[in-house]
Amino acid sequence: MIFEVLAVGLIISAVLALFLEEVIYSVAALAGTFFFVALIFVEYNAIFAAIFTFAAGVGTLAVLFLSGEMLGDKPVNKTSPKRVGILIGAGAVLSLPAIFFSVSGSISADSNIMFGDALWNVRGLDVVLQALVILTIALGIAVVLHEKKRKGGQ
Amino acid sequence: MDFVILSLVMLAIGIYGLLTNRQLIKVFISVELIAVAATLNFVMLASVMGVGLGQAFLILAFSTDTAVSGVILALLVVVSRKYGTSDISKILQTIKDKDESEDEA
Repeated sequence: MIFEVLAVGLIISAVLALFLEEVIYSVAALAGTFFFVALIFVEYNAIFAAIFTFAAGVGTLAVLFLSGEMLGDKPVNKTSPKRVGILIGAGAVLSLPAIFFSVSGSISADSNIMFGDALWNVRGLDVVLQALVILTIALGIAVVLHEKKRKGGQ
Repeated sequence: MDFVILSLVMLAIGIYGLLTNRQLIKVFISVELIAVAATLNFVMLASVMGVGLGQAFLILAFSTDTAVSGVILALLVVVSRKYGTSDISKILQTIKDKDESEDEA
């Protein structure tokens, strides 16, 4: 029951973080997201992960509050309470699959490999994909800097 | 294993925000949400399977996430200073106008 409540809170705060007009309110909602993630980690006995999430989350939020205040464009219209209500409702609806559906059991009927085992054994794919993303970003920055240098030379 | 669905939903919200938001800070928040979805799935799977190593790997994931955040924020500051806004559509329009005026000249 606790997981369901935390899941609903997590999804609602994530939706609010993305779709509120004011950047400062979005960052406040992102703080809620980090808070709920840490609570879920605590519920699953991952205390170390929860503390680390808090520590990293506080740093990220401090930087985001500053950059949001300095760099964020001020919205013309303020977010109405009706829109906030709609966003909370949308978040609650989006959290329904996490509450009512579950992924478990064997991968197929004639296989003894459990889904959790299979998922854990292919974790290396995540690292490879993340490395590809970072490599792409690095290449993009290198290309931009090279173009800038070339134009500066001309 | 309800958390797999939860992290998938978080991932979907993050990707949707990444594709639809025009504010650069919101794009950054979307990237953060995607990273949260990944770490949520990773740590909870390790916790359910009783693998303590999962929490140790979290340090690696957060280090990478922090490095990516630093690069994104640096680019955000540079772009905001150069164009005076953090709205992607306005920035693209400014670049387009500048290119057109250079072509005419």
